[in-house]
Amino acid sequence: MHHNPISIKKLSYVYPDGIQALNGINLEIAATERVAIVGANGSGKSTLLLHLNGILMAQQGEIVVGEMPILPRNLIAIRNFVGIVFQNPDDQLFMPTVWEDVAFGPMNQGLRGKDLEIRIAEAMVAVGLDLEKYRDRQSQNLSGGEKKRVAIAGVLAMQPQVLVFDEPSAQLDPRSRRQLIQLLRTLPETQLIATHDLDLVLELCDRTIVLSEGEIVYDGKTAQVLSDRQFLLAHSLEMPLSLSDARL
Amino acid sequence: MLLHIPLIETRDRPSPQSGDRRNFWANLAVHTRVLCVFLLVFAIALTPIGRWWTWAIYAIATLPIIYGSKVDLRILIKRMAIEFAFISVILLGTLFRNGGQLLWQWGWLQITTNGLTTLASVSIKAFLSLLLLNILTLSTSIPLLLQAMVTLKTPPLLVSILASMYRYIHVLSHEFNAMRRAAQARNFAPKNLYARHRQDHAWQRQVLGNMLGMLFIRTYDRGDRIYQAMLARGYQGVPTVMESKSGGWSDRLALGCVMLIILFGQIFGQLTN
Repeated sequence: MHHNPISIKKLSYVYPDGIQALNGINLEIAATERVAIVGANGSGKSTLLLHLNGILMAQQGEIVVGEMPILPRNLIAIRNFVGIVFQNPDDQLFMPTVWEDVAFGPMNQGLRGKDLEIRIAEAMVAVGLDLEKYRDRQSQNLSGGEKKRVAIAGVLAMQPQVLVFDEPSAQLDPRSRRQLIQLLRTLPETQLIATHDLDLVLELCDRTIVLSEGEIVYDGKTAQVLSDRQFLLAHSLEMPLSLSDARL
Repeated sequence: MLLHIPLIETRDRPSPQSGDRRNFWANLAVHTRVLCVFLLVFAIALTPIGRWWTWAIYAIATLPIIYGSKVDLRILIKRMAIEFAFISVILLGTLFRNGGQLLWQWGWLQITTNGLTTLASVSIKAFLSLLLLNILTLSTSIPLLLQAMVTLKTPPLLVSILASMYRYIHVLSHEFNAMRRAAQARNFAPKNLYARHRQDHAWQRQVLGNMLGMLFIRTYDRGDRIYQAMLARGYQGVPTVMESKSGGWSDRLALGCVMLIILFGQIFGQLTN
């Protein structure tokens, strides 16, 4: 595993309609870190995530993934290195059956036959799903929690070194959310989690980055920032419920 | 297509009957089933008008397929009824044509023996073709059909497009229903479009138009997000192709039987014509 898998220097991005989504982002992520990226709607979280495996290219600044700068010639290797789990699993599960969907990434890597089967089986075990039970299930007939797990399995099957999650707990019921938190805790990969779910952040991440209007306004200990009510309010965030309750 | 959605729910798991060893249809490789059905459909469609005995033979050949496929007859009939309602508009057009003996006339509309023969022939062709295609899609899941198309050397890009269409038609219908529910919750109803006591028909139509427009925009946005998700997992513009199994002796036998039936139907039809 690379010791410093993601390095971002002075990254800026402006959308075609003129909205400055990111402005001078500097960021270093170390191996096996689990880092939360929080911020209000429109703060630039999703835009930042889409830069991490080259879906959006930096307009200004530099992003280095592993040893590779994000350039068109490195995109294949970068997308094998950084796996993104999108917010809505319906966007991600585009193949008709679970097996085909989990196989999509490894097949793009050139895997076939027994190696492919082993890779898919390992990914399904990692997310706690029985391959034999799910292999021929159709994606649209799965529950929200199952879809999320299959989406994660599809990314894990590519064996990335960095996992990026966009709102992983969105649309999940409390039990599925709890299972997801346990799952993320067991995954050994470096993780970046963009979310509004600050209770999840408190449980999973030691380090938190707060984005506000495209800029990093805090990068440090999770417990410290999430207990600072004034700071959170200033950036359109609220304290996690668990900490709010403790103060009542 | 939207009308079809409640009827095309396919099972995730194979039905208990599909494990039955005597079920010859389920034992055939999927691409063999597709080939058998397409050969029969082509033979039915290309048979010249008025060859009743040929179609009778093909109809008899369809019976064991209906039995072997173990399809639910109620669903089969429902599907056929919906599809026939659509194609009957086209079929009616074949009735009013010149030639043969004049049977009925009203202004420029006329029914002749020629028109009746054409209508009956085209109706039989449509009925038998739809019957076979529906049996195929009811007895075989869509993912397996797509896999069979790959085996039959259909271009992978076309199969991928079909797979995406199948995957997302449910999502689209879900989104459309969600929008419709949201509109209904604020007292929008299709009957308002025609209700005589309302003075805002134009606005009601505009709302419906906006909903459909919004559905297209959402579709576009979703397509964009799906493409991003594909890129994120290493998609480089060329769809991947799964390995496929080849058929055994029973598949070759089934294809041979279908060819013989087609040939026999054509010869017998020509002799009796």
